[in-house]
Amino acid sequence: MKTSDGETRASALERRRKSAVAGLDAKQLAYLRHFDNLSRRQRNDWSFMTGRTPNQMDFGGYRFQLAYAAYALALTHVHRLPAAPGALRPTFQRLVAKILEPEVWMYWRDSSRAGGIWNPHLAGRPEQWDPVAHDNIMYSAYVQSMALMYNVLFDDARYAAPGALTLEYFTPFWGDGGKPGGLDRKFEYDQFSLNENLYWQMVRSGYLGIACEPNCVFQICNQPAIIGFRMHDLLTGGSTADEVSRGFRQAWEQFGGPVASNGHLYLYAASDTRTPIPNAGEMPWGDAWYASLANTWNGEFVEKYYASVIGKHVLEGPDGTRTIRPPKSRTFGARPIENDTCDFGWLTVWASEMGDAVTLEGLQRHAERHMRPTLYEGGRFFPRHDQVSDAEGNYTCVEPLAGNVLFAYASLNVPHGLRQLYEQPWAPGHFAEPNLAIVGDAIEVHRAYYDDARATLHFTAGVREDRPGDSVVRLANIWDRGRWELQRDGQVVATGDGQQVHEGRRVEARRTEHLLDLHLVRNELSTYTLSWPGGGV
Amino acid sequence: MSAIRPGSAPPVGGAFDLVDHDGRPVTHETFRGAYALVFFGFTHCRVVCPRALGRLSTVLGLLGPDAARMQPLYITVDPERDHPAVMKAFLARWPGFLGLTGSRERIEAAKAAFHVFARRRDDPEDPDGYAVPHTAITYVLDPEGVCVDHFTDALSADEVAERLRALIARNHRLNASEAGE
Repeated sequence: MKTSDGETRASALERRRKSAVAGLDAKQLAYLRHFDNLSRRQRNDWSFMTGRTPNQMDFGGYRFQLAYAAYALALTHVHRLPAAPGALRPTFQRLVAKILEPEVWMYWRDSSRAGGIWNPHLAGRPEQWDPVAHDNIMYSAYVQSMALMYNVLFDDARYAAPGALTLEYFTPFWGDGGKPGGLDRKFEYDQFSLNENLYWQMVRSGYLGIACEPNCVFQICNQPAIIGFRMHDLLTGGSTADEVSRGFRQAWEQFGGPVASNGHLYLYAASDTRTPIPNAGEMPWGDAWYASLANTWNGEFVEKYYASVIGKHVLEGPDGTRTIRPPKSRTFGARPIENDTCDFGWLTVWASEMGDAVTLEGLQRHAERHMRPTLYEGGRFFPRHDQVSDAEGNYTCVEPLAGNVLFAYASLNVPHGLRQLYEQPWAPGHFAEPNLAIVGDAIEVHRAYYDDARATLHFTAGVREDRPGDSVVRLANIWDRGRWELQRDGQVVATGDGQQVHEGRRVEARRTEHLLDLHLVRNELSTYTLSWPGGGV
Repeated sequence: MSAIRPGSAPPVGGAFDLVDHDGRPVTHETFRGAYALVFFGFTHCRVVCPRALGRLSTVLGLLGPDAARMQPLYITVDPERDHPAVMKAFLARWPGFLGLTGSRERIEAAKAAFHVFARRRDDPEDPDGYAVPHTAITYVLDPEGVCVDHFTDALSADEVAERLRALIARNHRLNASEAGE
């Protein structure tokens, strides 16, 4: 079998095995820690995440940061920590919980009224509260794809339960009156009802796509929905993603394809007149964002397109660095526009997805040099910086999406990583393999994979002194496989059979129901191998 | 995996109130007792409709005796041109198909009920100067009038026939179970 990029299934798996064996380096771990830190912020604490535009209006919106952090976790799990779901699952869940918070989606009440620069002829529409019912694909598709991706990657159907994706806003201080007064808006969905909703909106649009602002169908914003449909198909065995992506391709063919005459992707199409609007400013994000995601289902096009435009966006700098041109200043009428573009960040992600190591490493080198990487609470990020250039003319702008998430995403991804996740997220039998099912809050996992050929679970983990929480890792799928031996840094520290622990030396190992609990020692980074001499069956 | 929600049907209303190509008033209730195969299109369609109608004809042939339980319906999205007589003449090439049309308002209501996309646009190759691109999905209403499945034009005739056979068998089992057989 070949994947869509022509790579054989065997070589794709071999590449995945190598990245899993390599695990995570210190920077990658710190990026994950930053995601985790953000996910743990208390309700309505958006520290480090606020962009320059108020009210979640544009790319500074929390929704994008939360969603792409989740996608980055997914890529990390599939490609780098395949045997450590417990190290990533809680963060993913918290990101889903956060994207459901009103602060993330309340902009829709106002955006749904239309009348803005994109659609002045639609002014005065009644405000809509339900942020996923109609349009607003720039929000709804992230909720849909995150929930379904979570189910696929962690074999956990918690978001399939009716009402599992509930959006609620309540205030006693203003609203509809009634008894006892105030306002309460509550919309109950689950991953399936939301997926169905998006699917039928796609059908009703003739597969052109679902609008962000009313009447504005952005190509990019429909890509997460297609990824969500694919996740749905992986769960249910259907072919929705194939149907929608084929229809989407055909619908844009009416304009001659997704690329305008200026050589750049159309930004959006007006759904009432079915008129495509080009990326007139030749904004890099307009190319890189779409293509980073569309590499999943439209890889052949994206590879050619990358070769044709990457040189227009990326400039060579000194010492192998790569950078970008400062964006042209833009206006709405006479009024200057200030917003987050994330050009640098999206180009970094695109280079990572396409496996262009020279460009990726060059952009990363520039970021390290000019964008002030920062460690906070053990997490690594690039703090927001609105100034486009420094005194020497070096590009320095960092938006919250780029600094919190996109640079990390690019670092954690592997060549065609999202495409592989889309095409073949897990091999059959994955969920039956030994793994780190639950990881204590104080534990940091550097590496975790199961070598089926040698019936050995490898993992490297340590306990962080600067982190509260327990230091127990709980292993699943250990029992009923015969005699096993646990080594720590090459020394046997525990043995057992198919039912119980026989001996624990220098490590506390205990069976708790169907799991094997290991109590790790603080301040110690160790490499463990848990092997079954009899083959583990 | 434990994520599949059983029994989920397409959220399609399936209601309509139209006239058939012989001028008789019909609604979705008219076809109770049969499986209605509902396809939206327009008679000036040069590619999509002839291909879809041809494929559905092949499907009916593949179904053999079960084809008698099917009522293929072709609802126009172009009521200005597709009067009953026009539809009857057009469908003569595909025996067994019943064309449905009606006022613009009633066609719009039917489209909304089925989530159908169709939008008039200029077409210099058409004698009247316009075409009506539309969603090429075939919906299946069961004998109770409930929409139970839908097929895109990406599916082959064999695949559609197989899905319909499975539907009929499942319905038969359910009916037998309810009857205590």
